[in-house]
Amino acid sequence: MNHQDVVAQLVTILTPLAEGRVTVIDGTTELTGQLALDSLKVMDLMLAVEDDFDISVPINAIAEVRTVGDLATQIQKIQQGAGQGA
Amino acid sequence: MKENPRLQAVRAVQQELATIGIDPFGVQIDRILSPTEGLIDGRHTILAGTNNYLGMTFDADCVAAARNALETSGTGTTGSRMANGSYAGHRELELDLARYYGKRDAIVFSTGYQANLGMISALAGPSDTVLIDADSHASIYDGCKLSGANTIRFRHNDAEDLAKRLRRLGADAENALVVVEGVYSMLGDRAPMNEFVDVKKEFGAVLLVDEAHSMGVLGNKGRGVAEEAGVLADVDYVVGTFSKSLGNTGGFCVGDSDDMGVLRYASRPYVFTASLAPATIAATRQALRKLAGADDLRQRLQENAERLHAGLSALGFRLGAAPNAVVAVLVGDKLEALRFWDHLLKHGVYVNLMVPPATPGNESLLRCSVSAAHTPAQIDAICAAFGSWTGAKA
Repeated sequence: MNHQDVVAQLVTILTPLAEGRVTVIDGTTELTGQLALDSLKVMDLMLAVEDDFDISVPINAIAEVRTVGDLATQIQKIQQGAGQGA
Repeated sequence: MKENPRLQAVRAVQQELATIGIDPFGVQIDRILSPTEGLIDGRHTILAGTNNYLGMTFDADCVAAARNALETSGTGTTGSRMANGSYAGHRELELDLARYYGKRDAIVFSTGYQANLGMISALAGPSDTVLIDADSHASIYDGCKLSGANTIRFRHNDAEDLAKRLRRLGADAENALVVVEGVYSMLGDRAPMNEFVDVKKEFGAVLLVDEAHSMGVLGNKGRGVAEEAGVLADVDYVVGTFSKSLGNTGGFCVGDSDDMGVLRYASRPYVFTASLAPATIAATRQALRKLAGADDLRQRLQENAERLHAGLSALGFRLGAAPNAVVAVLVGDKLEALRFWDHLLKHGVYVNLMVPPATPGNESLLRCSVSAAHTPAQIDAICAAFGSWTGAKA
């Protein structure tokens, strides 16, 4: 998957969680800032993301994630790592 | 000196509470009267938020053992176990714990928090993977952080969700460390330990179970959920605390692994902290001797838990789990929970206020912990106090 495809899939997951706080979600949207997700909600979001992409995202990998785009980059790294290991 | 911006969020919560005029995190028990009663703000208050599940804090034999150790061995060790703070009693307590659990060896830590920190960070490193229940205690999260391991959460009490995540690890699943709790402290719900053991066996992973809130409470000899489920032999490491059913302070781990002899030396929270005081060790050993045969206390605790659970259910409250030593009342809204908690305190009942993010499901809770030492009249008084809030609202 390319970066834009991952972002698009994340936007689909995030839209119901945004509860109308932002009108447009894209790669630059901040998870805790603009979407106002607290740390607990971000952790629960990750469980949904893991299921959707069929990957496991370690907690330590999301420490530096600020935006939807950052998360997409982490997901791509994990997908590429899994691909190399297979 | 200017304010540290990192503390801004905490400061905001403190200011919010000051505005409301209620401080649930600054409660002081001015005088402790018994395992279940204290003086707070000059009021006789029933303590229903202590984790003193068996009421062991005032046990005459434990008090006598502590007093004797204090007089013969002094107030403290002034050193760490690895340097100058290992007394014979520390090792004797470890051997007592190993015998009690039927495991090869034990390690005693200075707190339960440090036991999780010390074990997880010694068992896993930056190239390893730890899988933890999503509702794990902070000590488990912090242990993972200290270890530097890849930490993966699975859905609360969901063995199939754990299996899915182990499957994704491929061959690495065999070296993964899985961490669950016996009873979860917020809601009082217990882990499906049989299912977790099946998954651990399927993938060859290592299983660590924290029985902090189930030790002394569940199982024929009070060894926790793993004993109750008949799978204690399949659990690689059991972590526990002295600060709940044993009525003291400290923590431990027991296990059958060949590594038990060296793990302590790889555990920074074990190496770099002062060891437990002689009086603590003596009282804990005495309490532990009583635990296996404490059927009467466990029976009384269960009866009290059922009485409280039934009383609160009858009043229409939503409760977190089946009757257990932890009975959590789900309140939902944080402000209502705060006012409800304050109302209970002013009516002579102390419980724990728990608010997100410390609670699962974004719910605020009023968490009651039941003790074998509560009298039926005290349990009824707790219910009456809860009921009076319903009345005040109506």
